[in-house]
Amino acid sequence: MLAFTLFPVGYNVWLGFFAKHSLRATSTWVGLGNYAQMLSDPDFWRSVWLATVYAVGSTTLQIFAGVAGALILHQRFAGCDFLRGVALFPYMIPTVIAVFVWRWLMNDLYGVIPYVLGTLHIPGMPEAWLTHATIMWVLIVLSVWTFFPFVLVNVLARLQTIPPELYDAARVDGASAVRQFFHVTLPQLRNVLLIVLLLRGIWMFTKFDVPWLLGFGGGAGEAIRTLPVFTYQRSFTYYQAGMGAALSNIMLVLLLMAVTIYFVAFPPSEEEQDA
Amino acid sequence: MPDRARHGRRRPVSRTAAWALRLGLFAFCAFPLYWMVVSSLKVSHELLASPPTFWPHEWELRAYRKLFYETNFWTYFQNTVVVSALTTVIVIVAGVIGAYSLTRYAFRGRTFVARVTLLAYMFPPIIMLVPLFLLARQFGLVNSIPGLALTYISFSLPYALWILRAFFQSIPLELEHAALIDGANRAQALTYVVMPLALPGIIATAIFTFIVAWNDFLFALVLIGQDELKTLAIGINEFFHMAVVDWGLIMAAGVMVTIPALVFFIAVQRYLIAGWGAGGLKG
Repeated sequence: MLAFTLFPVGYNVWLGFFAKHSLRATSTWVGLGNYAQMLSDPDFWRSVWLATVYAVGSTTLQIFAGVAGALILHQRFAGCDFLRGVALFPYMIPTVIAVFVWRWLMNDLYGVIPYVLGTLHIPGMPEAWLTHATIMWVLIVLSVWTFFPFVLVNVLARLQTIPPELYDAARVDGASAVRQFFHVTLPQLRNVLLIVLLLRGIWMFTKFDVPWLLGFGGGAGEAIRTLPVFTYQRSFTYYQAGMGAALSNIMLVLLLMAVTIYFVAFPPSEEEQDA
Repeated sequence: MPDRARHGRRRPVSRTAAWALRLGLFAFCAFPLYWMVVSSLKVSHELLASPPTFWPHEWELRAYRKLFYETNFWTYFQNTVVVSALTTVIVIVAGVIGAYSLTRYAFRGRTFVARVTLLAYMFPPIIMLVPLFLLARQFGLVNSIPGLALTYISFSLPYALWILRAFFQSIPLELEHAALIDGANRAQALTYVVMPLALPGIIATAIFTFIVAWNDFLFALVLIGQDELKTLAIGINEFFHMAVVDWGLIMAAGVMVTIPALVFFIAVQRYLIAGWGAGGLKG
């Protein structure tokens, strides 16, 4: 198992020092050449920036939507099991389908969402959404729709283990629902939210299929050419396997840095270290 | 106690608000799916009509006929089922044995292996894209269904181990000891005592593994070039390369891929919830 995981990573680090064609067998040692070329490429910096915008934007909104959804579904009401099933469904349908459905919903000519938004006559509302200026918003909303159930499920599972006595005590003390949320619920959710934030942040930063399928790497897609898409294009559109490997290594280093900073800033509690 | 009364009985305003929120959540989750189904059943001119009709005036199955008779949909479907099933079976067999040994045998570095497993769970597959592709080429695993399955196995197995481990840990050792004292060997204890108890966990893990393979786009895109070997994810993507993009066809394909997932999902929902508690999702 270690071989499965570590060997490709090691091989990747090694490849990063070569100028290698993705299909031909030849390779030339270039040392840090790939890295030097990459760091002087404005497209690279732009892709890092876009991946960051995407990861921060979509992760934040997923957390808000997921917590809100979990609070709604935590109560018992008629049809709550049904609604739980429906709320999980966006996560279960294949990403490809989710993206295609949203491309259709947001279609510049025939899309139902631009049509509905158009009937509201809000000043400054764009008529077409899959354009350079706004495609990032579509990407973020679509990603929130697809991935917020992950947050919802984890938060809901935790909510159900909070002892009701805590709320009884807060109520006796006269705490309002809002105060109960901030003083009882949120502290209890801290650990699960930290883990979910880390996982979702990592997975959104390295998400390839959603931005690629939404933008196809060209046209307005340039406005969502995040680091994973850029890496894919270097490796398989320009066949620069060495450069692709170097870019993957940069991604790995960035993630390891993020994880380290994260765990130093928010050390996990004892129970979770062992879980 | 006025305070108790206020919180004990919900006011009509907050009840209405609660239902509005529930309805909002429902619409947010369900509308895109509703729109997919409706769009797949509309006649062509209505599909492109402005303003769009929320309930079609005319229904037809044109898109589905085209999907079944004029595209390679069934080939893609079969390939996806084969590659997902292959991945799932191998991951479950290897995962059950691996997770069992992780929880039952004490060996040096057991905690270390557990940590690495967690890291592997977080690990984004795209980082392995280039090395896996080059290795696959070297071993002749490009344009091959087993090659694709092997790729999925390599990044599903670590987190299958991660979930299964949690389930095995929850099964009391005493039960196994009882079986061993009665003369069963390790393999028998695993098969007759541990496995039945861990079955919900195994089913949950199988589903998650299946979903990884069923949903993957990236590795299929890189490793499969031949049309007759394509999986659904990359096959449906081809529909965009037709001269005129047929949205009805694409939505019909979406429905056909989603319905089996939906039926399957409803059938196994209670196992899924069990698996989620153990941190079984990825993507």
